[in-house]
Amino acid sequence: MTRRFEDVEEGDELPTRELFLAKDQVRAYARAANQWSPRFTDDEGARREGLPGMITPGNMSMGLLTALIEAWAGPGVLRRLGTTFRGLVLPGRTVRLCGTVTQKDERTRTAELDVWLESDDGERLVIGTATVALG
Amino acid sequence: MPLAIDPSILGQEFDHTRYGPVTAEELIAFARALGETRPEYTEPGPSLVGHPTFCVRYKGDRFYPESIPKTINVRAGLDAGKDIQLGVPVCPGDSIEVRSTLHEVYEKTGRTGSMYFVVIRFTMTNQRGEMLAVVDNRFMHR
Repeated sequence: MTRRFEDVEEGDELPTRELFLAKDQVRAYARAANQWSPRFTDDEGARREGLPGMITPGNMSMGLLTALIEAWAGPGVLRRLGTTFRGLVLPGRTVRLCGTVTQKDERTRTAELDVWLESDDGERLVIGTATVALG
Repeated sequence: MPLAIDPSILGQEFDHTRYGPVTAEELIAFARALGETRPEYTEPGPSLVGHPTFCVRYKGDRFYPESIPKTINVRAGLDAGKDIQLGVPVCPGDSIEVRSTLHEVYEKTGRTGSMYFVVIRFTMTNQRGEMLAVVDNRFMHR
């Protein structure tokens, strides 16, 4: 069910999601997303590329942020998502997915969001903005 | 070295690749790998659609055009981010056409020197000509 425009206020926070990013889940994503590459699947292979170990694809971080948005606003509401990959998202650790409402547009019944994925110690590794269509 | 680009190379289509048909199994595996449990993303049947970011798994056969300035070392780069504008969802049986254009090239100078950013735009449509997504891929090169 789609969240109603009238029920959203600027400054509202999306319920934060905390999740342990298991290496096997990242490998499953890499397989399903046609990104099967050592940097996303294998610690040793990733180190040979100069990385500290296998990393999470940026596309997967976008998918997780999309799931955060849809859990709050409903399925099929996302119109646009823009992200910047600022830091490496290392699997085998806990991450938090967060978001806030920054603006509402009454004419289009849409809301603008700031969303981000942060590490357990609060470093924002992926930041983005999104537009969602509300009911 | 300062970046010199010919503006006429921007916006030119340099690749056109077709994929598909997309299977229900592909859509479900993608959604489940993201931890999705919504039935519209994970259960076979007439209501199944692709997760909104499913399209980002597609790209052109040729990732960069030959017109990229030689100043940029395209062999070494990092995915700096993406902007996705979403259209209709991907459904099982869909064919996906990906048209690639060089959208933007720019330079930024930071504490560690110059960085070059290349933005490749993938415009994705289904077999009915409906827009699935426009994906701007931003890559950073030293």
